[in-house]
Amino acid sequence: MAWIAKNSAGTQIERREQPYLTDELKAKFEAEVLPRYPTRLAATLPVLHELQHRYHYIPYQAIEEAAAFLGVAPAQVLDTASFYEEFWLEPKGKYLIMVCQSLSCELLGHGSLLEKIKSKLGIAPGQTTPDGRFTLMTAECLGSCGTAPCALVNETLYENISVDNFDRVLDSLQ
Amino acid sequence: MALSEPVLVKRIPTPPWGDPADRKYVGYDHFTATGGYAGLKKSLGMAPKAVVDVVKDAELRGRGGAGFPAGMKWSFLPPEDGGRRFLTVNADESEPGTFKDRLLLDFDPHLLLEGIAISMHACRLDTAYIYIRGEYHHQAKTLQKAIDEAYAHKIFGPDSILGLINNFWPQCYVHRGAGAYICGEETGLLESLEGKRGWPRIKPPFPAVAGAFARPTIINNVETLAMVGPIMERGAAWFKSMGKGRSEGVPPTAPASFGPKLFGVSGHVQRPGVYEEELGIKLSTLIDKYCGGMRPGSKFKAAIPGGISMGVLGPDQWDAELDFDIGKKYSCLGLGTAGVIVMDQHTDMVAVARNIARFFAHESCGQCTPCREGTGWMYKILSRIEAGGGTLDDLDLLLELSGSMGALPGTTICGLADGANWAVRTILNKFWAEFEARVSQRRSKVSLAAAGGR
Repeated sequence: MAWIAKNSAGTQIERREQPYLTDELKAKFEAEVLPRYPTRLAATLPVLHELQHRYHYIPYQAIEEAAAFLGVAPAQVLDTASFYEEFWLEPKGKYLIMVCQSLSCELLGHGSLLEKIKSKLGIAPGQTTPDGRFTLMTAECLGSCGTAPCALVNETLYENISVDNFDRVLDSLQ
Repeated sequence: MALSEPVLVKRIPTPPWGDPADRKYVGYDHFTATGGYAGLKKSLGMAPKAVVDVVKDAELRGRGGAGFPAGMKWSFLPPEDGGRRFLTVNADESEPGTFKDRLLLDFDPHLLLEGIAISMHACRLDTAYIYIRGEYHHQAKTLQKAIDEAYAHKIFGPDSILGLINNFWPQCYVHRGAGAYICGEETGLLESLEGKRGWPRIKPPFPAVAGAFARPTIINNVETLAMVGPIMERGAAWFKSMGKGRSEGVPPTAPASFGPKLFGVSGHVQRPGVYEEELGIKLSTLIDKYCGGMRPGSKFKAAIPGGISMGVLGPDQWDAELDFDIGKKYSCLGLGTAGVIVMDQHTDMVAVARNIARFFAHESCGQCTPCREGTGWMYKILSRIEAGGGTLDDLDLLLELSGSMGALPGTTICGLADGANWAVRTILNKFWAEFEARVSQRRSKVSLAAAGGR
C-alpha cells in the first residue's frame, strides 16, 4: 500500500563521499530532461528513474542530492519517491521478479506459479535471496491479461508462463 | 452487425483479418505508405475549431473508461490567452483486464502520434506528455523510437508542420510513471506529471481550465486519440456508420455508442487477445467468433465487461450487447475500457471478489479516509468469508460498505472506491447464493442496530 509511511524519524542515512548524482548526470538532466517541463519539480520522476536505473535502488543520500538539484526540500522528493511502488528505497536483488496476481492471472494459475517460485528460491514475496540474486514480489496487473499468467523480471515481461518454463528461466538468470 | 474492415488494427494483423504472429512494429515509412498522417494533413488545412467540430460531430467518446465525449472535452478549453496549453495522453493502462492500449503502443504508435498532432492543432496545445505506466518498459522504448521518427519528419519539433503553437514549436515527450494505478485518474496523473505523489485533485477547476502546471490541459486516452486520425481522414459520418448508435429510450442529446472499439478478452477462452469490433457487439459473439469459444470443458459463468471496476455480468447475460449503455441494461457500472475477463463454471466468485477488493485496497492512494479504510476492510471481510469465517452479517456489511464510499455517494475525491463498490456489489447481488453458502448462517449476537450503530 503506497500510502504507508516509510521510517524516517531516527533513520541513519548511509553516506558516501562521492555523490550519486554525478556532474555527468546533472549535465545530462539539464540538457535532456529539464527543458521538457515548465518546472524543475516535474523532473522528479525522470530523475528518480535514472538514479534507480544506475544504482538499482534510490539511496537516501541520492534523494537529498536530487532535491538540491531540483531546488526543492528533500522531504518533497522523499514524499514522491515513497509513494510509487516502483521506486526502491532499499537495495533489492539483482533480478526483481514481479509475479502478477490480478484477476486474469489468478484465474489462469498464478497461484501454483508463485508457490513454485517461493519453494525454489526459498523466499516469500517481499524478500531477497541471501546471495542477493533474486527479489520476489507480487504485482497488481502488468497489463498482459491476454497472455496470463505473466511476470516481469527486471524489464523483461514473460507471458503465458507455465511452471516448468519459468523454472528454466530462473535457472538461466545468473 | 460486424466491422467490415479493421480501423485501429489496420496495420496490426488481428483475426479475422490477419495472424497475430505476423505483427511487427509499424515505422514511419510503413505508416505513411498505408495512408497514415493523411488525417493530420487534412486537419492542418482546416481551421482548428473546424477540427474540433468534426470530432464533436463524430460523437467520439473517450475510450479510457469513463466514455466522456472527446469533442466536448476539447471544447471546454478557455480561449487562448497567449500562455502555454498542454496535452497529456493517458497511457497508464493498469486496470486488471485492460491491455488494449499496449497493442497500439507496441505495434502502431504512429497512429497515436497522429491523433496527438491533430489534437494539438485543433486545441492549440504546444506540448504533449504521454504518461505511460512504469511497467511498460518495452512500450516506452517503442514509443520513443516512433517519436524520434516523427521529429525527424517534422511532425513535432523545430519547423514542425504544425507551425508555432502558443509561440512554441510543438513537442511530444514520454513521461514514465512508476507503478501507481491512481495515476490513471486524470488529476492524479497531472500531480504525478508535476513530480508529486499521484493524489487526485478536487474538481473544479477541471483540467481544461487549470490542469498541468495550472494551465489549460486536455487529457485523452491512447485509444481515443488513435481514433482521431481515421475520423479526420474519413469524416464523422463514416465513423457514425459503425457501432450501436443511440439505444432506445436514450435522449438524442445524450452520448451514444458509435464507432469501432478494441476489446481485450482474457480468462477462460480459447484464444484470448485484443480484437476490434463495433460497439454493441454481443458478448457471446465476441467469445465465440473471435476467441474460439470457451476453453474445452468450460461453460460460461460470468464476465467482467471492462476492467474490474465495472462490475460483473452474470450467467444469464451471455448475450449482453457491449456498448456504453450496458450499465443500466445489465446492472453493472458500464463498459469501461472493454477489457473483458471471462470466467467459467469452476470459478469461485468469492475468490474473484476477494481478488478485486485486494487490488483496490492495494491501489487506494490513501488520500480520502472512506476509500483508504473501506477498501482495506472490504478485502479483509472477503478474505474472511473465503477462509470460511464469514457470517451472514458480513454480507450485509459488505453491501453497506459498498454504498458508502466513493465519488458517487460523494464521500471521496475520485472514483477509485466506486470501482471497488460496483465490483463487489454486483458480484454479491448476482451470485448471492454462492456467498450465502459460504458463510455461517449465524448472525452475530450483538447486532449493530442493538449497539446503536444503525
